[in-house]
Amino acid sequence: MERITEHPILGAPQKGSLVAFTFDGKKLQGYEGEPVAVALKASGVMIHRYTSRFHLPRGIFCAIGRCTDCVMVVDGKPNVRTCVTPLKEGMVVQTQYGCSEKKSW
Amino acid sequence: MNDRNKDIGAFVQGADDNLIICRCEEITKGEIRKAVHEGMFTMPEIRRYLRCGMGLCQGQTCAKLAKGIVASELKVSPAELEPASSRSPARPTEMSILGNEIN
Amino acid sequence: MERYNLIVVGAGPAGLSAATEAAKNGMSVIVFDENQKPGGQLFKQIHKFFGSKEHKAKIRGFKIGEQLLKEANDSGVKVLLNATVTGMFLNHEVTVNYENAIHHYKADSVIIATGASENMVPFEGWTLPGVIGAGAAQTLMNLHGIKPGKKILMLGSGNVGLVVSYQLMQAGCEVVALVDALPRIGGYGVHAAKVARCGVPFYLSHTIVKAEGKDFVTGVVIGKIDDHFKIIAGTEEHFDVDTICIAVGLSPMSQLLKMSGCKMEDNPKRGGQVPIVDEYGETSVPNLFAAGDVSGIEEASSAMIKGRIAGLRASYKLGFCTDDFTLPKFTEYKNDLQSLREGMFAPKNRGKLIENTEEGIPISMNLLTKGFIADDEIERFPGVTKQKGVHPVIECTQNIPCNPCQDACVKHCITIGQHITSLPIVKNPAPCTGCGMCVASCSGQAIFLLNEDFAHGFATVTLPYEFLPLPVKGEKGIALDRSGKSVCSAEIVEVRASPAFDHTNLLTMKVPLEYSMKARFYKSNKSNEKKNN
Repeated sequence: MERITEHPILGAPQKGSLVAFTFDGKKLQGYEGEPVAVALKASGVMIHRYTSRFHLPRGIFCAIGRCTDCVMVVDGKPNVRTCVTPLKEGMVVQTQYGCSEKKSW
Repeated sequence: MNDRNKDIGAFVQGADDNLIICRCEEITKGEIRKAVHEGMFTMPEIRRYLRCGMGLCQGQTCAKLAKGIVASELKVSPAELEPASSRSPARPTEMSILGNEIN
Repeated sequence: MERYNLIVVGAGPAGLSAATEAAKNGMSVIVFDENQKPGGQLFKQIHKFFGSKEHKAKIRGFKIGEQLLKEANDSGVKVLLNATVTGMFLNHEVTVNYENAIHHYKADSVIIATGASENMVPFEGWTLPGVIGAGAAQTLMNLHGIKPGKKILMLGSGNVGLVVSYQLMQAGCEVVALVDALPRIGGYGVHAAKVARCGVPFYLSHTIVKAEGKDFVTGVVIGKIDDHFKIIAGTEEHFDVDTICIAVGLSPMSQLLKMSGCKMEDNPKRGGQVPIVDEYGETSVPNLFAAGDVSGIEEASSAMIKGRIAGLRASYKLGFCTDDFTLPKFTEYKNDLQSLREGMFAPKNRGKLIENTEEGIPISMNLLTKGFIADDEIERFPGVTKQKGVHPVIECTQNIPCNPCQDACVKHCITIGQHITSLPIVKNPAPCTGCGMCVASCSGQAIFLLNEDFAHGFATVTLPYEFLPLPVKGEKGIALDRSGKSVCSAEIVEVRASPAFDHTNLLTMKVPLEYSMKARFYKSNKSNEKKNN
């Protein structure tokens, strides 16, 4: 999804420096300090995880860390709310299957 | 109000019973409605019976919806149903943090 | 265990206002907020607020947030972020999850200002990526500088749905439709008008049948509903969208209050589970207060005043301020709050169909059902007059507590009076200089400057414009009417931007005279070409 470069009221967004991170092994880029979910969205990623019971895809829903739909495995830790977790250089982000980075079905 | 002898009729399949209501635990509308017919007339019971509202968001998203469904099944207004109680911790907290209590 | 005079939970408008008020009276105050940034939802509001000067009218939400934060810091309020209050216990003790540990804090009084969470409407496919809350749309575009989607369907026509639809367009997204199950638009007519004149269709008495897509949203189907909220067969309509935004109301986040054991009630007029409080926001547990949306869903302006009232009451009860100081202040705050609770959208009027304004003028039914005032309805209102030369035309047709237009005009062309819900009246003849301050000051963007004597056969219409790219003088395009329909060709004769206008640019377009009372928005020919390509 497109980033907003110039906004009629807010002007140009203030962002940190561009850093590299990986998503399911793919090298992506995002701005340091912005939520991981935003960096993923800018790269066109819609699906963050697949649910335990019905194996259905989930993505961003509330975007403020309340609903936990956007959780992924980040640096090996599952259930990390990507919409409120700031992006750091070299972060390893993986699609979450149930509660793990490994698909068990 | 919480009269177990109340006759609420038999469970009738609904067209939208597959609709997910509790997003975190993936509980469907049909399961909630069936639970009422299995004797769960209060929100605390529904929560314990189905885990509806016990997931990561702790009912933030589904509580009002589940209440409406149970109320409709019991043929009462949602305001007449006592809500499920709130207990500490108000947000999901890791055991390592709960074990690190500073007085 | 640290001890304070006052613990405030939530650093949103109510929490910060309460903390600042108490700190100014000499109380030691600490505020906990579970988020990374303070301000609650305030920093996402990029529109100008309504009300009067006391209510910070005409100022954009995020600017009010900045002022509030500075005031809190200057008053010595301690704000702890990423600090989640996990429990509310007896004798004003709270547990806080902060820096990977559980900390205990005690106080003499506690103010809970945890705000509200969004309501939901489930439909087939609602768990697909691409279905987001309206708050999520605001967070993504206004805080993080990313478009929530390209083509969006908005569900909900309350103020949140209307305001966020407009903000989505400002961010460069396309809003394909605005849908609401109710038969009438729930939010302010002026908010709906801003959206309608851009061409967004309103589908009232409709609901979402399903969201389409396998891995994420690719489309949506809506349908008309009957009196029993059932879809009427054959009324289904399909839209290609990648995002569905849900804006169907808010519910107070009152878990901590429930934990405290205070008396609660299920009050639909206040949004759901709320504590039973007195006029100061005090619950049945002494020195435990609720302020802001958690005690009843209203606006940010009301939340700030409710916060101040609770902060003042807490200070007074603990002996930090005298009767002489406190009592007049209470009266002032209560009057400020009451003046916001007047008019067509007052809490007491919720759910009622108001058919006439306070002045006895029939309300525009078209505005309530389609989002725009019909051509044969507009001339009823006192802001609309026929005059020689340039003069303001104010299309403000509902009683809302709001009066920045009155103060904006140095020539006193506009009157609202003491009762700030009154409809604005334009003097006839008005000594208007065409400065445009009124156009820029209207938070509802409902004021236009008309000059039907511009040139033979032509009139000019000056309108507020808050989009990019900004048109340039001399460019040609199309004028749209209030419903967003193209009506005639238009040429831009002037574009004005000024710090005094605060990002509301003034576009003056020349249109054929017969369209002077129809043309209310502008689209350049360039943007039409882009669309066709």
